Amino acid sequence: MRQVHALGVDLQDGLHGRGVPAAARRLRQLLGADCAILADLDGPVASHGPSPSSDEVESLLAQVFEYGASARTRLPDGGAVCAVPLNVADEIAGALVASGRPAEADVEAAASLVSDCLDHAALRRTRDRIAAADLRTLRAQISPHFVHNALAVIAALVRTDPDRARQLLSDFADYLRYGFAERGDYATVADELEATQTYLELQRARFQDRLDITVRMAPEVLPVAIPFLVVQPIVENAIRHGLERKEGAGHISVSGFGEGPLCVIEIEDDGIGMHPDLARSLLAGTGPESRSVGLANVDQRLRTVYGPEYGLVIETALGEGTKVTVRVPRFTRGVVAQ
Amino acid sequence: MTAVLAIGLVLATSLIVGVYGVRAARSTSDFLVASRRVSPTWNAMAIAGEYLSAASILGLAGLLLKNGLGTMWYAVGFTAGYVAVVALVAGPMRRSGAFTVPDFAEYRLGAPRLRKLCGLVVLVIMLLYLVPQFKGAGVVLSLVSGTPYWVGVVLAGLVVSGSIAAGGMRSATYVQAFHYVVKLAFIGGPALFLVVTAGVETRAEALHPEWGTHFPDTTPVEFTVGTRFALDEPVEVTERDGGTLELAEGEHTVPAGTEYVFPEGAAVPEPEGLPELGGRAWSTPLLHVGGYPLFETWSTLLAITAGCMGLPHVIMRFHTSPTARIARRVAVGVIALLGLFYVFPAVYGLLGRVLTPHLVLFQGTDTVAVVLPAQAVPGSVGTVLTALVAAGAFGAFLSTSSGLLLALAGGLSHDLFQGSVPRLRLAVAVGACVAVLLALPAQRIDINVLVVWAFTVAASTFCPLLVLGIWWRRLTLPGAAAGLTVGAVTATGAVGWSILLPTPGGWGSVLLAQPAAWTIPLAFATMMTVSWLTRPPDWAEHAVLRLHSP
Repeated sequence: MRQVHALGVDLQDGLHGRGVPAAARRLRQLLGADCAILADLDGPVASHGPSPSSDEVESLLAQVFEYGASARTRLPDGGAVCAVPLNVADEIAGALVASGRPAEADVEAAASLVSDCLDHAALRRTRDRIAAADLRTLRAQISPHFVHNALAVIAALVRTDPDRARQLLSDFADYLRYGFAERGDYATVADELEATQTYLELQRARFQDRLDITVRMAPEVLPVAIPFLVVQPIVENAIRHGLERKEGAGHISVSGFGEGPLCVIEIEDDGIGMHPDLARSLLAGTGPESRSVGLANVDQRLRTVYGPEYGLVIETALGEGTKVTVRVPRFTRGVVAQ
Repeated sequence: MTAVLAIGLVLATSLIVGVYGVRAARSTSDFLVASRRVSPTWNAMAIAGEYLSAASILGLAGLLLKNGLGTMWYAVGFTAGYVAVVALVAGPMRRSGAFTVPDFAEYRLGAPRLRKLCGLVVLVIMLLYLVPQFKGAGVVLSLVSGTPYWVGVVLAGLVVSGSIAAGGMRSATYVQAFHYVVKLAFIGGPALFLVVTAGVETRAEALHPEWGTHFPDTTPVEFTVGTRFALDEPVEVTERDGGTLELAEGEHTVPAGTEYVFPEGAAVPEPEGLPELGGRAWSTPLLHVGGYPLFETWSTLLAITAGCMGLPHVIMRFHTSPTARIARRVAVGVIALLGLFYVFPAVYGLLGRVLTPHLVLFQGTDTVAVVLPAQAVPGSVGTVLTALVAAGAFGAFLSTSSGLLLALAGGLSHDLFQGSVPRLRLAVAVGACVAVLLALPAQRIDINVLVVWAFTVAASTFCPLLVLGIWWRRLTLPGAAAGLTVGAVTATGAVGWSILLPTPGGWGSVLLAQPAAWTIPLAFATMMTVSWLTRPPDWAEHAVLRLHSP
């Protein structure tokens, strides 16, 4: 059983991983064969034991790949060579060749074991790809939201204040370059702040200076890499759902500081706040359709990158404003700003 | 009382800077200002501010008074360490994006278990470094307020953990830069004033040591710890109750708590095992502790220079620089700022040799910087100077200990146990408690002995890890783990043995007390040998390339 388990570990990176020679050795032991060869569609990738002549093996493999079934041949010295196809997701991915005196049934059983291992390896790779694709989808979800708002603001200003409209348009262009650039999934806190600044500039135009803003940033956290577009959606949420419906001037503050090995970013507004239950359902992704995009998205991305304990923290009550806290490690393996 | 007030003022100001000192912007156009990075000058001041500890101020001056000019090698080592940091570590460390040494280990070798091991080493180094800080703070507080030593230490522990809990390190860069200014002004100012007012004769005496030393005035000496010393000639001293006592020639043992008043002009008694004040051993520029001055000097210098690279709280600060180039420029700035500062402890040490030689009698040399001003300038000016120096020394304690305690707490909560914020607070409290408990029995041990211990452990563990990790592709996980373990065990064990247990004497003692010369090569050798025998990870090439590509 241990050998079989170890075989699974050896093959965890597929037929071109590091463990393939070890897997060939293990298969030879398991089968009691003179020689065990693992081959992909281009020919042998690893073998263990005194191998039959390469012509012999080549012709056998060609036979297997052509008919998709096992093939066997006798050797001049009385032994036999037997080749069995390895099927991954119902397609031939390679073959297992064994020489000596193992029963054909044994070789076929071993081949199906190897096929299962390779299948697992393929599934594991697919899972990673899906996670990455999810992240990209989530990222893309945010942008249309903002593009619409920004263009509406500028459109409203085009006649009354063309200079400002032009300035805003160029801000907007900067923002788009940041948001749509072909870059990695992470940016520094400083870059995020700049993107937030252009966003706030656009919003102030709408609020006609009813919006008061305070930013406090400890310089230590500026170079920290965080997932792309984390601060801006939270600020956007604070304005859309906290300040927009509030009478009179609104205030929003963004502060960042280090807390030991963690980087903390707090976004606080004095808007209308929300019911704590609503906040909970927003984070769970079960809130009303119109509000479920921003916060839940950020929360989910943070959890995907840093682990479940690093999600968003929302402190709020009706009429009391809202405070959203992002708390992430300053360094996480693989998180690098491009 | 003035001194307590001054200390309180430094504490309050640094809290305010720490909590509110972050750049605040009130309009969107200021947003860009807030997101602009901190300038290299500020950053260098912050690093120097965090680095200049109680050890640099109190310990160095005290050791100079006690062991002689060779002690200045410590200052050379403390500064030269940054040359090594610039040359080998600063730039690549910044490129890796790693915040702490355990982060770097994970980046380079990718194993959570190695991260835990590193966390453990961080713990050892930080505790060894925290103990002398608390000792220094305890000594200063008990000197200026008249409370017992333990009250000072406990108070210091409360102040540091309290200021961290109140958010006093939120903008660490500005707090630490502020502390550099405090230290430079409060230590450097009084030092210059003392040099000027000391007079020509005292200055000449300080620079041209003569054999033996005599009390410049009728001097009361309170033995806070029991001491053995030898007299060359009989002396008549006054006891606390007013009666006189004739101390005969030869050796005397004095219990703790005794107070003698020595008459003017009497020779200062020589405590056992120390170079004679102003004697040859005192004035040659080598460390004289165990009888092999050249080896000891080299070993200490090696420990401090290489250790600086491995100090966890030093590495963290380079994370603030936006690029590797600026990180190197910052480190060069630090060298200049440190070089400037280290002139002043030497002033206190040299003047102290002339004006307060009796401090060697009861192992109170660590207090020389605080005691000296009152002795040199009597009256209210002296009181004010004492207050300034005490406040500067306390600031040194506060800034370094805050940084150390945060690094320690981070290691505890982040590396050893994966935790979140409440645990960080808890870890700060636990770290402070342990450091206070260890500092209580450490009153007799010189600050610098403990500091060099911490540097030696750092030099024998993280220095090889960083240097090989950055510059050698073949480093492997088992190699790093083996080297770290060997370095940590030998360095901690050797110095611990020499402080706590009887030593074999001769070369044995020296090798145990100054082990850097053999533990550092041993750690390097272990790391390299085990690495040769094992396979490097697949991504090693890529990881090293990213450390060096601009």
